[in-house]
Amino acid sequence: MFDDMLGTAMSERGKQLLKDFPALQVLHKHDRKGVNGMIKVAEDCEEYNRRYAEPMALEIDERIGRDHDYFNWDIVKAGCQYRFLSLAIPEGVGGIAGKYIVTNMALAVHELCSTCGGIGLIFGAHTLGVSPLITAGAMAHWDTVLHEIAEEEKKGNPVLMAYAITEPSAGTDVEDPEFLAKGKIGMEARRTKGGYVINGRKCFISNGREAKYLTLTAALDRNRPLETWTTFLIENGMPGYSTPRVERKMGQRASHATELLFEDVFVPDSHVLGYPGDGMVNGILMVMGASRGPVGAIATGIATGAYNHFMAWAKTRRNGHAPIDEERIRMAAADMHAMLCANRNLFINHALVADASFGKVLAHPLVNSTYLTPRAIRTSKPMYKLLNSMAGKAFINTLLGLFISDEEITHILALASMAKFHCADNAMKITSKALELMGADDSEDRRWVEKCFRDAKLCQIYEGTNQLNRLCLYDTEISKELTVEIPRPFRAPLKVEVN
Amino acid sequence: MIQILRTTETEEYRILRGTAADYAARVLAPVAEELDAPTGTPFLESMNKASELGVLRAFVAEESGGGGLDDYAFCVALEEMAVESAGAATALLIHNAALLPAIAASGAPELEAVMGAAFPMSLAYPGQVSLAGGKVSGQVPMAFNAPAASMFTVLARSTEGIAVAMVEPGSEGVEITPNEHQMGLRAARCGSLHLTAVEPLAIIQADNEMVESLERLLHLGFAAISAGIARKAFTTAHAYASERYQGGDIIVHHQALRLMMAEMVSGIEMSRAMIKSACEEGGLAPALACRIEATDRALRSATDGVQVHGGYGYMEDYGMERLMRDASWCQIYPRPNQESLLTLLDLVEG
Repeated sequence: MFDDMLGTAMSERGKQLLKDFPALQVLHKHDRKGVNGMIKVAEDCEEYNRRYAEPMALEIDERIGRDHDYFNWDIVKAGCQYRFLSLAIPEGVGGIAGKYIVTNMALAVHELCSTCGGIGLIFGAHTLGVSPLITAGAMAHWDTVLHEIAEEEKKGNPVLMAYAITEPSAGTDVEDPEFLAKGKIGMEARRTKGGYVINGRKCFISNGREAKYLTLTAALDRNRPLETWTTFLIENGMPGYSTPRVERKMGQRASHATELLFEDVFVPDSHVLGYPGDGMVNGILMVMGASRGPVGAIATGIATGAYNHFMAWAKTRRNGHAPIDEERIRMAAADMHAMLCANRNLFINHALVADASFGKVLAHPLVNSTYLTPRAIRTSKPMYKLLNSMAGKAFINTLLGLFISDEEITHILALASMAKFHCADNAMKITSKALELMGADDSEDRRWVEKCFRDAKLCQIYEGTNQLNRLCLYDTEISKELTVEIPRPFRAPLKVEVN
Repeated sequence: MIQILRTTETEEYRILRGTAADYAARVLAPVAEELDAPTGTPFLESMNKASELGVLRAFVAEESGGGGLDDYAFCVALEEMAVESAGAATALLIHNAALLPAIAASGAPELEAVMGAAFPMSLAYPGQVSLAGGKVSGQVPMAFNAPAASMFTVLARSTEGIAVAMVEPGSEGVEITPNEHQMGLRAARCGSLHLTAVEPLAIIQADNEMVESLERLLHLGFAAISAGIARKAFTTAHAYASERYQGGDIIVHHQALRLMMAEMVSGIEMSRAMIKSACEEGGLAPALACRIEATDRALRSATDGVQVHGGYGYMEDYGMERLMRDASWCQIYPRPNQESLLTLLDLVEG
């Protein structure tokens, strides 16, 4: 059924992937090359899990439980051979992102998290850090930052990114336009000659300490955060920037959640992504539109891991009795299976729809032809200046607006938010139920499921709490009160009516 | 702090509740994090001070130097302690459960050492242990308090039915493997126990009634501990929500969060009412029903308590994630809740 017409046998993983994701099975009939690329991603992640994550995951989790400053770089280095850090980096600058950028990302974190949510998060949070460079169309930095990540990765050197949004006094507030307008924001980027001076703190930033480059959102005026919300590129090592502490997390420990401190950090104009004041759109709504679905995939991956270990336990015979012999355990297995199916459909649904827009831009001949220009020209000073000029940004944004409509963006955000909260809630249901059924058991399977339970909880919290994601779904899709508009040149910033 | 629940408790229980709450806040709260250390033998010094509450030998008559408590009084003390450390409350529950058989067989001179055993004793149950020729052999996968135990109360099958063997940890043939990966209730550190032809200190002949009373105490105890966890989740979440500003208001004014916290209150009300009624009723079925409901509700309250705190709830510093881990462990001992539900129906059918 799944073998292609040329008779090339599909791998077992490939066959299973198409069974797990019926949408991909259909798509495989129409775009075999594209779906084969997804199968390759799943196979790579599976091999990585087998070779690196599985033998290390419990140990890393436990070690960080005792010594939360510990970070295992080897596990990140091992991902380089599979190009996990380049999943969202355009092919033109050395990455592997094509027209299925979001789908491949979702499938990758889903597969990685089925072994370890923390290790999966390292790669997921990295891509989250990359994404504002993409959504803001900040092409000047594609040839520098993204190119460096891709090229170093080919040599086996991981260069990590992170995205800093959350502030100590504003978690939910910075994820939603209506809330941000009323938010109490601590960080401020003050205008100065040739750039901005940033002061303040960010917290809970995944990969924060390890990242060489960070993307960051900050208000230019703390009293008008929504109108002045702006996305920046930060380089680790900029004077005044430090990472005072990492958190002691309940789960997903392999990736650090870090506090970032900015004390008079000067950031040049060239490091503003998109326009000053358009951060809510290019930095939050568009990024969340791409990333919340993959968070649903992370939750589903974690729950799948729990389910697999639960089933292994259920099938283990002790004193002549295996739990799976009992009807109630089979019923529970069926419930979990159904929830996982629903989850997978929700997140792949979002991913494919997102790729119909985002992926279309990245694979567009106009974008690709840019990279026919020799690199020496692309990275020349005048070109860098042009791309970073208002005219350059206006041109890129005009193109972006032609490729993706505002309605598409709003719809993608709705699907992403829906996948996020529903998958995360189901993951909690699955992991906690599995633990309750397994009972007082000293098996290694229970230890894995306990880790999944701890890991899963974070999925209900980050990328906007599940409560916020529900409101977002209502605003974007049900009441249609929130419409997302792609930043346009010389346009007044996004306005939101605040009740 | 807000008042969660009016209570019709008599003065005797009210006083005990107050004293236990004071003890928990004064002694347990400052060391709650140490008691939850991921590995090693927990910090149990503070538990010995619990003797002032009369809970270290709760069911030993007062004239014999015990607490002379009834079931409900013990539940009241456990609930109050669990507010600050569910693990410490569990260590206490297991210790008292392990003493039950010796109390039932009171007067036997060979049990003097058992009655005088230091805190904590461990209960090796349930497991696969048999008694033959005066020696016990077998294994118990999960025994609370095992690594620090002064004495093991081992339930074993013998040709004459059920027997309780009192085993000293240093005896030949006793092998204790501490569970270094315990997720919840860590102050009552678990271990697996392997017994190879161990000569017990004493053997107490037991019957089904003894096992039932033991199970009943465990069910009531875990219900009370769960109620304590849920209370902590609620009061901490409510206090945080009353200060945290988000979405243009303090978050306690957001309906989504009000609903979560209201459900915590209803869960606490229900658990407490069921505990009281189960203690008064006697019998295994009400205790079991109460345990199942209270532990399920506690996990939900703890999970929602973390959610109210957002990212902060997920970090160890705020103590909220510990409630989730502890609550999950309350659902499974001595048997998991779903399995217990089937037992409940069996009991009702008679």
